[in-house]
Amino acid sequence: MRVWKKLILYFLLIVTSIIMFFPIIYAFMISFMTGGEILSGKLLPSTFSLDNYVKVFDRLPLFNYLINSFVVSLGVMLGQLVVCSLAAYAFVFISFKGRDFIFFLFISTMMIPWEATMIPNFFTIQKLDWINTYQGMTLPFFALAFGTFLLRQHFKTIPKELHEASQIAGLSKFGFFFRVVLPVSKTSLVTLGAYGFLTTWNMYLWPLLVTTNNSVRTVQIGLKQLQSQEVATEWGVVMAGVIVVIIPTLLLLFLGQKQLQKGLTQGALK
Amino acid sequence: MTTVTKRRKISYWQRSSNVRTALLYLLPSIILFTVFVFYPMFRTIYLSFFLTDQAGEAAIFVGLENYTYLLESDAFLNSIKATFLFVLYTVPTGIIIALILALLANEKLRGIGFFRTIYASTMGVSVAASSVVWLFLFHPSVGMFNKFLNIFNLPQIEWLLDPTWALFSVSLSTIWLNTGFSFLIILGGLQNIDEYLYESARIDGASYWYRLKRITIPMLSPTLFFIITISLINAFQTFGQIDILTKGGPSQSTNLIVYSIYREAFINYQFGTASAQAVFLFICILIVTILQFKLGEKKVHYQ
Amino acid sequence: MRKSSKFGFLALLLLSLFALVACTNSDSSSSEKDGNEGETEKEVVTTEEGKTVISFWHAMSGAGQTSLDAIVADFNASQDKYEVQAEFQGSYEESLTKLRSVGGTKDAPAITQVFEVGTKYMIDSGFIEPIQNFIDKDKYDLSQLEENILNYYTVDDQLYSMPFNSSTPVMLYNKDAFKAAGLDPEKAPETFSEVIDAAAKLKTDDMKGFSMLTYGWFFEELVATQGGLYVNEENGRAGDATEATFNGPEGLNAFNFLDTMNKAGTFGNFGTNWDDIRAAFQSGKVAMYMDSSAGVKGIIDNAPFEVGAAYIPYADEVKRNGVVIGGASLWMSKGIAEAEQEAAWEFMKYLTTPEIQARWHLETGYFAINPSAYEEQNVKDAWEVTPQLKVTVDQLQSTEPSIATQGALISVFPESRQQIVTALENLYQGMDAQEALDAAAEGTNRAIEIANKTK
Repeated sequence: MRVWKKLILYFLLIVTSIIMFFPIIYAFMISFMTGGEILSGKLLPSTFSLDNYVKVFDRLPLFNYLINSFVVSLGVMLGQLVVCSLAAYAFVFISFKGRDFIFFLFISTMMIPWEATMIPNFFTIQKLDWINTYQGMTLPFFALAFGTFLLRQHFKTIPKELHEASQIAGLSKFGFFFRVVLPVSKTSLVTLGAYGFLTTWNMYLWPLLVTTNNSVRTVQIGLKQLQSQEVATEWGVVMAGVIVVIIPTLLLLFLGQKQLQKGLTQGALK
Repeated sequence: MTTVTKRRKISYWQRSSNVRTALLYLLPSIILFTVFVFYPMFRTIYLSFFLTDQAGEAAIFVGLENYTYLLESDAFLNSIKATFLFVLYTVPTGIIIALILALLANEKLRGIGFFRTIYASTMGVSVAASSVVWLFLFHPSVGMFNKFLNIFNLPQIEWLLDPTWALFSVSLSTIWLNTGFSFLIILGGLQNIDEYLYESARIDGASYWYRLKRITIPMLSPTLFFIITISLINAFQTFGQIDILTKGGPSQSTNLIVYSIYREAFINYQFGTASAQAVFLFICILIVTILQFKLGEKKVHYQ
Repeated sequence: MRKSSKFGFLALLLLSLFALVACTNSDSSSSEKDGNEGETEKEVVTTEEGKTVISFWHAMSGAGQTSLDAIVADFNASQDKYEVQAEFQGSYEESLTKLRSVGGTKDAPAITQVFEVGTKYMIDSGFIEPIQNFIDKDKYDLSQLEENILNYYTVDDQLYSMPFNSSTPVMLYNKDAFKAAGLDPEKAPETFSEVIDAAAKLKTDDMKGFSMLTYGWFFEELVATQGGLYVNEENGRAGDATEATFNGPEGLNAFNFLDTMNKAGTFGNFGTNWDDIRAAFQSGKVAMYMDSSAGVKGIIDNAPFEVGAAYIPYADEVKRNGVVIGGASLWMSKGIAEAEQEAAWEFMKYLTTPEIQARWHLETGYFAINPSAYEEQNVKDAWEVTPQLKVTVDQLQSTEPSIATQGALISVFPESRQQIVTALENLYQGMDAQEALDAAAEGTNRAIEIANKTK
């Protein structure tokens, strides 16, 4: 590749990266500013003081929230992996009447907006006496059409011969699923896991609705608690909260980016 | 998506045994979907024929009145218009931007991994967090965007306050937020294209644009199809940004359907009209998805 | 998916199963609810030391929450019988949504903070205990509390809830800008036309003359200070309101007031977000604006210029009536154990003591519902430094008690406020004032009609 072409590419890469990352950097900068600095519209703080971070942790049980977020996100992630892989397996490796119809039913759930079903679901959770519990926060999200779809697409790339061979070798259906299909589909599972983890981490209305105290609340609710209505909001503290909330997910993304991308690709094909 | 399965000669008993096994595997999904998606959906449809009381229970049966009211209400028609405009602003632009970034990030350069991570980073930012940041970027007095305009001596824009700009501004933040996810998927699609295709094209002396048009885009079409479907559905269901950035204003210009549903249900406590809107939205998404499958599948190039 | 022509028997079976589950679910839901209401399971939760534990649902975020948490902690430490747990429930709307589902059951919190416009809904809901009962039983001296605040929450001579965080609108102005424009910084404009004139003088290339948050509350205040009513049936206090009256002459006055400045280019529209309009004021983008009394202190502390506080403007042809209280009050649940109600009442009494109110007033900017708080030394000291705070209290105390300043009672207030917001936004975009108001009134009427029909 010629040098000038490389230079142009690097230039484009750097410019677009700055644009894409700017909002995050901006939030990071504001998180160090004092009230006056923020209102004067500066881009760089005069000093990198950690006051706002101290305040954020002081004001909210943020460590608790972070732990809860991890528990809930991991819970949903594992639940989705189990439920979706089971369903996807049935859709690919067991032929039965009405399979396509059921699959279509599953896919159609993607079209129902969650906000529209939220209040009936809230009543359900309340009747089950699951307010302020982890199951109330996680269980409704275990079944995921997107996840089933993604895994189904990947399972379909598993050669039929493998299925037949395992049948000849006397492996049961579940044995085949557990011993062959799952290990072969590791990337897709990682992808779905990361997707599930991130989306759960980012939910904010549902966790607020099904909790009445801090025992199982997640970090996104903390963000809400930092902003006030009638009384002035301390934006520096809010931005410090934003940074604390996004750091775990960004880290996860940085570490798992390659896997994630591989898996998503396979889901997208065919 | 076609599942043409070879029908083997199998006995009825074995076939029904298959059904039973399949059901066993599907059972968790079916139960969960029934309780948390289908049941609320049925309830929504049911409530859409009623006026509800203060406790949210069906009180007076009104037939299709909620629907006819909606179709005659300017506010709702405006909501539909805003929703479609929003979809139009965000989906094509978002995908084109993601595609450009993915093409850039697909070049084999030193340190490209770093850039890929940066591009993908917005996927790790929650709607709540990102909207708070954008709220500040759009700030009429101290926001960065207006500061920039000021530097170049351009007139100030009331990003979220001017009805002609608000939907655009919300779209901008949404595009940014969704780019990470679309980028990752498209990049994955690009990397799955066989290298030899490019090599033979290069031997023929084809230009970059020719290769892009004749090889990359066709080979990428299944991926693009997938991401368009997901983006469309997500765009129709946008809620968080609106709630934090504009609350549906100014002059209802950003009152997208899902936000309107939320407001009817949570603030006004009118489950009847909220439900009717939800049913309407469901039908909209259904039609768009079916259309997309009908039109899109013909153009998709499968390997 | 294209080959899915044969749905098969199974699919139908499944569908009917779904339908069945859906039906049974909805059936059981209603019967279960009845059952819950019928049984009076009154378990009292206690701590290890035997303190009665009650929940207190609130919607205070930010600085309000910090202050409230500290007050609750002090209450718990101050005695050994009760333990209050303050729990944040999201915005007022979200909190109310939750309360609606648990109200009247054993899961209901002993105390809930509900915004002022939810008053009518709470009274009608049937799951609250009017605190008048406790006042009577306990011979609690109500006269020590601020009359103009109590008026709002008093319906048919009964005080239903204990006022808590209370605020009114005030007009804040930039004294430096007043000087620069040749206006007297110690004398704020009082009437609509005075404000219009001042705004014209104050306007520069960078600065607008006047602004108001696009929020229904401020419009209600502008109507009330002229003695105008929001809805019929004596502002909904004589019976269930059936029609909006805010599109009458008083409402039109207020709209014309804003419209005149908007058309003259002296009005700045900074949207529906509290923080935006404050930032605009602090960064010199607008010279006068209306804010909540609860926000005054924050503004004075952060503004790089001298801030003046004044009464809200009123129409030239009428006399000033004063302001309606805003904010929220505390409601006690019915159907919970007596010990819990007692704990709730003790906590409410604690909250209204002058010391606590003084502290609350200083930390948050909300009014002290107990005016003796203003005699506390720390309040006097603070007022010395920021005399503007006193203006807000004076405005409240000089308000003439009337139906107008008592505030309207309708169950669909939140919806009506949205209608007003839309009307204001349309006005700023050039719609005719009367037309915009009428559209809002029509929307409100429909909401009222539905609410009355389904009651």
